Amino acid sequence: MQIRDLPYPDPGDPDVRSGPRFLLWLGRNQLGGQLRSMSWGLLHQCSIAGLSPAVGLAVQAVVDRSGTRLAWTGGLIAVLGVLIALGDTMLHRTAITNWITAAARVQQLLARRTAELGSALTRRVAAGEVVAVSTGDVEKIGWFVEAVSRFAAAAAALVLICAGLLLYLPSLGILVTVSVPLLALAVLPLLPRATKRADLQREKAGKATELASDTVAGLRVLRGIGGEELFLGRYRRASQEVREAAVHSARMWSLISAVQVLLPGVLLISLVVYGAVLARDGRIGVGQLVTVYSAATLMLFPLRHFEEIAMAYSFSRPSAQRAVRVLSLHRTAGPSTVDGAPTGALYDPATGLMAPAGLFTAVVCGDPDEAGRLAERLGGHAQTDSDPESDEGAAAQKPPSVLLGGVPLDELPLDSARTAVLVQDKDPVLLSGTLRELLDVPSSGRVTPEEALAAAQCGDVLDSLAQASPAADGDPMATRITERGRSLSGGQRQRLALARSLVTDPEALVLDEPTSAVDSHTEARVAAGIKALRQGRTTVAFASSPLLLDLADRVVLVHRGTVVAVGEHRELLDTEPRYRAVVTRETDDEIAALTTGCATGTIEEIEERA
Amino acid sequence: MIGVAVPAYDPAAPESATTLPVGTPTTVRSYVRELLRRHRGRFTVLVAFNAIAVVASIVGPYLLGGLVEDLSDGVRDLHLERTAGMFALALIVQTVFTRLMRLRSAMLGEEMLADLREDFLVRSVKLPPGVLERAGTGDLLSRITTDIDRLANAMREAVPQLAIGVVWAGLLLAALTVTAPPLALSVLIALPVLILGCRWYFRRAPSAYRSEAAGYAAVAAMLAETVDAGRTVEAHRLGARRVALSDTRITQWAAWERYTLFLRSVLFPVINVTYVTILGAVLMLGGWFVIEGWLTVGQLTTGALLAQMMVDPIGLILRWYDELQVAQVSLARLVGVREIEPGAGDAEVVPDGRDVRADEVRFGYRAGLDVLHRVSLDVAPGTRLALVGPSGAGKSTLGRLLAGIYAPRTGEVTLGGAELSRMRAEDVRTHVALVNQEHHVFVGSLRDNLLLARTGAEDAELWASLAAVDADGWARSLAEGLDTEVGSGGLALTPAQAQQIALARLVLADPHTLVLDEATSLLDPRAARHLERSLARVLDGRTVVAIAHRLHTAHDADVIAVVEGGRISELGSHDELVTADGAYAALWRSWHG
Repeated sequence: MQIRDLPYPDPGDPDVRSGPRFLLWLGRNQLGGQLRSMSWGLLHQCSIAGLSPAVGLAVQAVVDRSGTRLAWTGGLIAVLGVLIALGDTMLHRTAITNWITAAARVQQLLARRTAELGSALTRRVAAGEVVAVSTGDVEKIGWFVEAVSRFAAAAAALVLICAGLLLYLPSLGILVTVSVPLLALAVLPLLPRATKRADLQREKAGKATELASDTVAGLRVLRGIGGEELFLGRYRRASQEVREAAVHSARMWSLISAVQVLLPGVLLISLVVYGAVLARDGRIGVGQLVTVYSAATLMLFPLRHFEEIAMAYSFSRPSAQRAVRVLSLHRTAGPSTVDGAPTGALYDPATGLMAPAGLFTAVVCGDPDEAGRLAERLGGHAQTDSDPESDEGAAAQKPPSVLLGGVPLDELPLDSARTAVLVQDKDPVLLSGTLRELLDVPSSGRVTPEEALAAAQCGDVLDSLAQASPAADGDPMATRITERGRSLSGGQRQRLALARSLVTDPEALVLDEPTSAVDSHTEARVAAGIKALRQGRTTVAFASSPLLLDLADRVVLVHRGTVVAVGEHRELLDTEPRYRAVVTRETDDEIAALTTGCATGTIEEIEERA
Repeated sequence: MIGVAVPAYDPAAPESATTLPVGTPTTVRSYVRELLRRHRGRFTVLVAFNAIAVVASIVGPYLLGGLVEDLSDGVRDLHLERTAGMFALALIVQTVFTRLMRLRSAMLGEEMLADLREDFLVRSVKLPPGVLERAGTGDLLSRITTDIDRLANAMREAVPQLAIGVVWAGLLLAALTVTAPPLALSVLIALPVLILGCRWYFRRAPSAYRSEAAGYAAVAAMLAETVDAGRTVEAHRLGARRVALSDTRITQWAAWERYTLFLRSVLFPVINVTYVTILGAVLMLGGWFVIEGWLTVGQLTTGALLAQMMVDPIGLILRWYDELQVAQVSLARLVGVREIEPGAGDAEVVPDGRDVRADEVRFGYRAGLDVLHRVSLDVAPGTRLALVGPSGAGKSTLGRLLAGIYAPRTGEVTLGGAELSRMRAEDVRTHVALVNQEHHVFVGSLRDNLLLARTGAEDAELWASLAAVDADGWARSLAEGLDTEVGSGGLALTPAQAQQIALARLVLADPHTLVLDEATSLLDPRAARHLERSLARVLDGRTVVAIAHRLHTAHDADVIAVVEGGRISELGSHDELVTADGAYAALWRSWHG
């Protein structure tokens, strides 16, 4: 896999039994790349090592006053230079390719897993955890996977260098060979502590960043009401803690640097002294002494890889474990026994709620949380908050499935159920992109975006988007909507989300408080727009505003999990005190004056909740 | 090597205009100078330690050169004990000072970084409320997260390491020149290639790395959004599209990775060739000079080993110079905040009384496009005024003008005769407070979340404020009471609870005039009304301007102003307006049944 061929057509099925196994799986999947990177690495390291004999030869040639040999050595150095440049560049290219492709593969796996899990994901792991894998952990995983081949090349090169030295000059070669393991492993005992301190530092830095971004996010509140000094003080403390943790961590790393200077230095001194004695006694040439000295200096580069691989592993193992935790999640779905596109009335056996086919039904429910749960149920495949492990146990108590035209939605495949019934929850998210992209959702194709926008009274939104449009003609459809629609007001967001649901034009549309943030002036027009556009289609709206209820074909009052009244808005207003209490939100006194004892339960409930 | 073209799509190009200024090169330069001046002492110490470590590291090649010289001259008495002793001493000095230098450089970097981030937050919290309202907090947020992060690397590593690298390379070059002046020539031979290569590279690299980083961030952002919008994605069957979109982001990011890889594929050979050229030239030229008798073998050996040592500082400089270039852009964004005038205002302007008046006010967000047209309004102390009207009519804008957040284009908004726009923001808020839908719960304890409104308040006062907004029930049931950690990462509060906290802050802040912009819209309608009623008891006697979505809020008000098309079209009490039988009356009938 080359970078230009990314993304993978299929990122594959990862081994998620454990973090290390996942790392192994990633490595196995790019074996070719690993081998390439290792080969180039070997060439690079060996060419660098080749410089030492060249330096020695040159010095010896000069000692022997031989211009010809000096010139030959010059040629050798030139060749080595080309090989070093080639090896280094190609090593870098292949290693980075391994890194990028591994990171891309993990990102692709994450994207597929989150899309598959949908609403079930955040019930199983915290959203932040998933995002942390994507932002921080993928890099570390890629680093280790990539570093393996470089390390292998360096280790092989070291063996070759030592073998070469042993053959070239056994007396000094043995000294170098014996000290290599010591040099390679000396700092390893210090690494766990150093990485622990580095982790602590990162943790503190993360906390400080969180405090800062939290302060900035709430800055308008602070500026409006005060308390800046309180929060500045808090941030200063956190910031100083980061500094202290960083310095604490630097103490360890500086110690490691010192060891990396000291130990090779001791080797060099021994080489010089011992080598000088040998040279004085004429047992080795002067050039040979220079060669070994130079080789010992250059050996430090491959040696650093031991430290790097240990660090890469200690960082990437927890990262891989976190990634595995996310990637091993699956959506537990019961077997689907039926398929197709059912039509007809939407009926919930648990509450007795019935939305006749082709009508606009409004549902009034005193408790907004209950309304939310009921709305979700109406879409089928509702997620239970229970532990996924105990799914079988929970299934027994699961209420019977909602029926669409007599077909139980839970028995349909998830995608068919979502196609048949669209549930727009209380807090629909506007995905970032242009307005055109926002409204480009899978749909029946019968409702155009323009019709939907008009029905949802989005004129003012279009006006403001047109002003920000990058297109020359001020096309509002080309304007980007920022993440979660933060640039828009609550009411504008709500109406755009409604327009998107109207474009989808499902068999049955369930809306949970679709106009709660819309002002009364606009609300009546939105309600009329929904009704006109959904003419002849099944629509259910959970609402409490008289402006919307008045337009519904049928209003259902749900109280404590059961349908208690059905009728038209005005009819219920006159005949049903509980309905009147919820809808007109009359004051306690007014209700007391109006109603008989049968409604007192509701009033108490209002008190409690408020 | 075939060249790779710059990818067409640049993820670092701002999608929405930067809403806050970016520092000019002059501001950035003067800021850096100030930063360096502030830490001059530590910089000097760092450079000194560095120099000592480098000089000690040169002793090895120097001693070896001497030995080689003696050996080639056939000297028998090499004074090995003395050589070994000096070598060991130099090694100890080098070890100790390497450690000190590393530690000092980290300390210096961390100190500069801490200065920078604290300084930025200090500046941020002094921004005038009007700037914040207009610019939003998104841009500021990305500066304090992304840009600080990028700078962290630069400050922590790049600045000290570059300083080390430059001193190191300079000292090696000086040592080479001192040991054997002719050998310095060989460095000159290699320089042109290095300079040309680096110029080519550094002209392209910084912006390419920025785009690469932005591209990678976009991959993660896409995932974050899919996670956040899980329910919406599932309901609208957008799963496959999200996957395709995320693959597109990966393609875009990979294109930049490929481009920067190409840039490095040019730079790496240049560095390698430079390095080998220096070494080769030292050996060849030096060898020739030795043979000609202009140099000694010892000088050549020392020179060759010094040339070999050059690889370290050159690598260091190139590696971190990159980072510094990237950091420069981030620094400009951080320093840019300094260019915003901190909210001016005159401490002498003091209101006399509590009358809120808008007089012939015109206001627009863009030149030539007024949102409010000659609006005049008089709010007597203690009045509860409701602003109703369709979206986009200018209700919220009028509210912000009455709260002193924006200054009118023409006309004036006064409180007790004092012009709000001429007062300091810190003074305005002791009189007038704006509460909007944004009910931010800060990370921290419940106590901190309330204390910000009145620093130094007693716990009893805090509880009283919670009771005033009906929040003491759930607050008392918290195991740790006021010490409970709330906000992101702590106990998650419902939107309704967050709203109650926002209102409790108001009770504590105790301003005599309040502008409520849909302040209770997140509560379920019944709770909202209940809360407004209990608030009404607390707010009794205060002037309240409520921007109302719901008609019951209007119903409870003393005066209702219907805002339509940037003008006040109807003004009067609920009963008066219903009797007048205008737009408000029609709406009220359909609402109330």
